[in-house]
Amino acid sequence: MQSESARVTTAQEARYRIQYPNSKTRAVKIIALDAPSAQIIDELAKQPWSGATFFRALSFSAESTPGRAGEGLSSWLNDLAGRTLDLVGEVASSDFIVVVSAAGEDARAVSVIADACTAHHKTLVALVVPREGATDADVTASMGHLRPFARMLVIAHDADYIAAMLTALRA
Amino acid sequence: MLRKEQNDYLTQTDPGTPMGDLFRCYWMPALLSEELPEPDCPPVRLKLLGERLIAFRDSEGKLGLIDEFCAHRGVSLWFGRNEECGLRCPYHGWKFDVTGQCVDVPSEPKESGYAQKIKLKSYPLIEKGGVLWTYMGPPEKQPPEPEYEFCTVPLNQTFMTKRIQECNWLQAMEGGIDSSHVSFLHRGDLSNDPLFKGAAGNKYNMQDLSPVFEVVEHDGGLLIGARRNAEDDQYYWRITPWVMPCYTGVPPRGDHPMHGHFWVPIDDHSCWAWSYDYHPTRPLTEGEVAAMKAGKGIHVRYVPGTYRPLANKDNDYLMDRAAQKAGKTFSGIEGIGMQDASLQESMGPICDRTKENLVGTDNGIIMARHRLMRSAKALKEKGVIPPGVDPEHHKVRQAALLLPRDVQYKDGAKEALKAKKGVRQASV
Repeated sequence: MQSESARVTTAQEARYRIQYPNSKTRAVKIIALDAPSAQIIDELAKQPWSGATFFRALSFSAESTPGRAGEGLSSWLNDLAGRTLDLVGEVASSDFIVVVSAAGEDARAVSVIADACTAHHKTLVALVVPREGATDADVTASMGHLRPFARMLVIAHDADYIAAMLTALRA
Repeated sequence: MLRKEQNDYLTQTDPGTPMGDLFRCYWMPALLSEELPEPDCPPVRLKLLGERLIAFRDSEGKLGLIDEFCAHRGVSLWFGRNEECGLRCPYHGWKFDVTGQCVDVPSEPKESGYAQKIKLKSYPLIEKGGVLWTYMGPPEKQPPEPEYEFCTVPLNQTFMTKRIQECNWLQAMEGGIDSSHVSFLHRGDLSNDPLFKGAAGNKYNMQDLSPVFEVVEHDGGLLIGARRNAEDDQYYWRITPWVMPCYTGVPPRGDHPMHGHFWVPIDDHSCWAWSYDYHPTRPLTEGEVAAMKAGKGIHVRYVPGTYRPLANKDNDYLMDRAAQKAGKTFSGIEGIGMQDASLQESMGPICDRTKENLVGTDNGIIMARHRLMRSAKALKEKGVIPPGVDPEHHKVRQAALLLPRDVQYKDGAKEALKAKKGVRQASV
């Protein structure tokens, strides 16, 4: 007699797998940490996404991080329309956060986002994307900034990987 | 998640498919040397990338891999007689040499030259490191021979097995680059398996069940680093190399031999899982070889006389619920190889990736798919030779090491990730 495992793993049996959805749309917030990354996500945002929203970190340098002048984290993000948004609120309403940093650019702003992720128990995925003229040392520097905060750190050689990743994650 | 057309693109490897064309750029393991042990031994039939083939070693020891079926009436040459430098069909006596050239058609006068007009498709078959390798692409694009370290060390330092896996190659291979499952599915084996236990690094695996991952591209594929907390402001890194399209290395443990896999498509519903073990600087001990032959480590026990695992879908993988309940095994299946295979086969012949829900830590898998699709497209549209063809790309090692927390593995482990003759592996 055929075993149950043998019977249920046939192509014929695969037809009977339940086709109802097994997940809900995920709210993925993608944040560009620097100007070159912002250009990339501007382009990405033109594609249709299920639950992805795109932001720019309002300041690209830790020295001038908003909050130092008393604004707090409520004025830390811009959406692509230029509206200022509350970082903590955006993180809180997300399923996970993706930060994008161009190799060699200042990525120290990630620490603020990471704090918000920690406070709300959200996973932070960091992507280092190529930048024209960037050196291996630039990549190393970017990774050094991001490593302490990212649950997954990815160095991508081509910018279209971000779209592939977001699609794979059902963003 | 993949769209259906993407899933089809990645999983189909028959002739003429994009991924089939990609695979046909590489040397791939076809048979173990032990399957064709001597001149004029019995031929072996096999299927690779959806093509039925027959392999034989002729009277002079030359290796041949040709179309399985006689050009006359389509008889399988597995029934053939391997004699006098050729494989003779037992039906009407047509004979073929290792290049597939017909050398005798007994019913026709020799002088007619009829035999010279008959030739079966053939592929090169070479022997290296106890493995018979084939290249199934265009002859003019045949790359240099493979240089994976396991097949370049002396034969007493290396050990290879293969097992049939009854599912598509991609879901099998993806298990090889998915480091995060180890802490669950294989947790019992770290302390019990003779080829794993005793390594100092094992404690970090057991203490820190939430590794953090870094994925870095290298020339031939990917490096997937998993880091765990260790003492003295250090991280314990386990780094898995993936060389396109289907080679994976498992980070080592202590001075145990290093191991890993090739995942070679047979057809779209099955693949060969090749499992290698080798030590770069010393012969394998009798105890290690005995353990490997007994199915320990990443190897399996077989149905006698076959390369099919003894625990297989026909016997529900010898599921042991008591061992599962007692925590002896996490899934109830014994042995690392079959723990993986049983779950991967349970996905069905081809995993339906339209329904999967990947998470951020699955980026190694996501990027591997991305690189495969990108490379297949570049090959098809522009003829670009894909990563992993150049033998220099094969000279990568898996590594397990402690690094200061402010050092990244792509720098700190740079030398450890290179295969170097006579240099011991980096392992904790």
